[in-house]
Amino acid sequence: MKSRKAPLSVIGILMALVAAACGGTTSSNNPSTQTGTLTVWLMNGSAPQSVVDGVNADFKAKYPNVTVNVELQQWGDIGTKLDTAFAGSTPPDVVELGNTLVAKYAAAGALGDISGKKSSFDNSGTWLQSLTDSCTVSGKLYCVPYYAGSRAIIYRKDFFAAANVQPPDSMDGLLTVGQKLMAAHSSDPNFSALYYPGKYWYAALPFVWDFGGDIATQSGGKWQGSLNSPNAQQGLTKLNSLVAALSRADKTGDEAKQDAAFAQGHIAMIIANGWEVGVITDPKAGDPSLKDKLGAFPIPSHTAGQTAPVFLGGSDLGVAAKSKHQDLANEWVATFTNNKHMTEMATVGGVIPNNTSMLSLGTGINAVFYSAAKNSKFVPNSQNWASVENANVLPDMLVKIFTKQQAIPDATSSASGRITALLNGGG
Amino acid sequence: MGVAIVTPDLESAPRRPGRVRTNLLPYALIGPSVAIIAGILAFPLGMLVWLSLQRYGLRELIAHAGEWVGAANYQRIVVDPLFHQVIVRSLLFTLACVGLTVILSTLIALLLLKVSQAVRVIVMSALVFVWTTPVIVSVDIWQWMFDYEFGVINYLLTQLHVGNFIHHNWFDNPIQGWSVFVVIVVWGAIPFVTITLFAGLLQVPSDVIDAAHVDGAGAWQRFWFVTAPMLKPIFLIVTCLSTIWDFGVFTQIYVMLNARPSADYYTIAIYAYRESFGVTQYGMGAAIAVVLVLVLVVVTFFYVRETVKVAEIA
Repeated sequence: MKSRKAPLSVIGILMALVAAACGGTTSSNNPSTQTGTLTVWLMNGSAPQSVVDGVNADFKAKYPNVTVNVELQQWGDIGTKLDTAFAGSTPPDVVELGNTLVAKYAAAGALGDISGKKSSFDNSGTWLQSLTDSCTVSGKLYCVPYYAGSRAIIYRKDFFAAANVQPPDSMDGLLTVGQKLMAAHSSDPNFSALYYPGKYWYAALPFVWDFGGDIATQSGGKWQGSLNSPNAQQGLTKLNSLVAALSRADKTGDEAKQDAAFAQGHIAMIIANGWEVGVITDPKAGDPSLKDKLGAFPIPSHTAGQTAPVFLGGSDLGVAAKSKHQDLANEWVATFTNNKHMTEMATVGGVIPNNTSMLSLGTGINAVFYSAAKNSKFVPNSQNWASVENANVLPDMLVKIFTKQQAIPDATSSASGRITALLNGGG
Repeated sequence: MGVAIVTPDLESAPRRPGRVRTNLLPYALIGPSVAIIAGILAFPLGMLVWLSLQRYGLRELIAHAGEWVGAANYQRIVVDPLFHQVIVRSLLFTLACVGLTVILSTLIALLLLKVSQAVRVIVMSALVFVWTTPVIVSVDIWQWMFDYEFGVINYLLTQLHVGNFIHHNWFDNPIQGWSVFVVIVVWGAIPFVTITLFAGLLQVPSDVIDAAHVDGAGAWQRFWFVTAPMLKPIFLIVTCLSTIWDFGVFTQIYVMLNARPSADYYTIAIYAYRESFGVTQYGMGAAIAVVLVLVLVVVTFFYVRETVKVAEIA
């Protein structure tokens, strides 16, 4: 017994020493002696390469012996990829997470708790509330807000002028304007006044919220799906009538191709993010000649003169709980989101910055999207929300409604039942 | 095949001590294969069953420790109405695909017997081309052909005055959508079955057919009473294999519907994948996969029995 115990305790002491040594280097005040490799996962298209290069150059200047590998990930299969990466022993040190996904990973213990470090990040006092909320689980902070995106309606100014219509200020006005555009283009069988692919659930939420409905409500720790409430149904009824009258988009398709479709010239309006202007006018994927013909206006409310609340999308940056370089990883995130680089994200990247102090950076067409962010809402902040997304509950419901497979009361009540079950942790 | 012949011999042979030792040789020879098959099949299957008896979500995945729940996952799928729909749908889909595959392949194989050498080479080459096209590539092409806005099928049907198919959505209505998938799956399955049946048809002795002809049997009677019974083992094998493949269809539907199929288009395989990787209920997904395996084991039983019979005859 004795002989077996001795080496074990020696190993224990050695491990403690190694741990102490590791802790020592990372918290030391001499960054130039730190070594290691940081792996960063960013989503494809989230930050311009020039911004990432600038961040890495600044980081290298401070930590010359640390290598940073930025790997770009695709949105399509990111959920599966993240699950697998976090389950492994060497996950990426820094990950960009869509703001609706954070709660799931934070609650499962995948992300490090950075509550104590909040003040070390620039602008943490004025972070966008909705993004901060998405990073907060059970009162603890698990990520740093990265950028936001909100939707408005992008329209063709030349089509509006030719049909002699102005951007509407109410949902009924949107229908009237759309019908005039449809009439003006009646000879084009491919024309859509408002192009709305059936599975586009982000764009359906403003209609639900504007009439006072919501996806789900929480009381006493239990979630209750509420898309079948009379208010939510009213909003979806309004959306359904707009889609039926104004859209020739695929009722079972998603919004992935809407910018390419818009660039082909048979569409007057789409509900889109600010950065999609860049995709529409891209020389390869789109049509650069549309640059001066594009305008934007907020999604109007059913109450004339007001705007509908929009979904505040965006991304956050988290550090993996299993990362062996927690401090370096947080340092990199702090560099990425500091004043200098966040300003570049807004001016070069065209996204909404992570804090309210920089909202004045939005100019021209971008200003519309920036101001839309001020009247924004979020999906239920639950660790199980990602399951609702991955089970396609909302897209399926919309497709059933638009294709008339189900009436709105039936489609919404079955979706609500599914949402209730999923948010409360069932299947 | 050798084993199938040796085994009955072992049973009937009188057990003398000397023979037992020499009879270890077949086991030694088959040992490595059994070990490899156990490693790549039995081990993952065992893991799957073990996983299906646990509550295994993302938290458990990250911590590498599941929570034992016994048969709870199975109890839940038994009462899940969506699971019932998925099972029924998968069965009907398999029935349609296998039926059409076997009937069409038989017709093409019979046709191949009648045509000239040149036509036979052309048809065979076409079949082999279809066979060798990777599924993802062919589904991409099918997706383009059935596209809502730019699809050639909609264009052709409209030009041929079959109806107004401009902006016709093939996946609006699940019955139409599933018909499209039957077409895609049957198209991909025909080459193997046709070539196998054709090889079988070449083995049917022509004098038997001629004798039937002389006796006054018509074409249908010659096929039904002479050819078909002789090909029965081959029919059984291709039917079993097609059932196994079609029941587990995943790629065609998943790729065609941009990796986000709605619940109307779930097969058992897609449903298991959604539960595992979409809703991160790996235990539940595993339970569904186990049910899929059990159904296939039943089909495989007939397949193996028929293979052994054929081997014994050979």
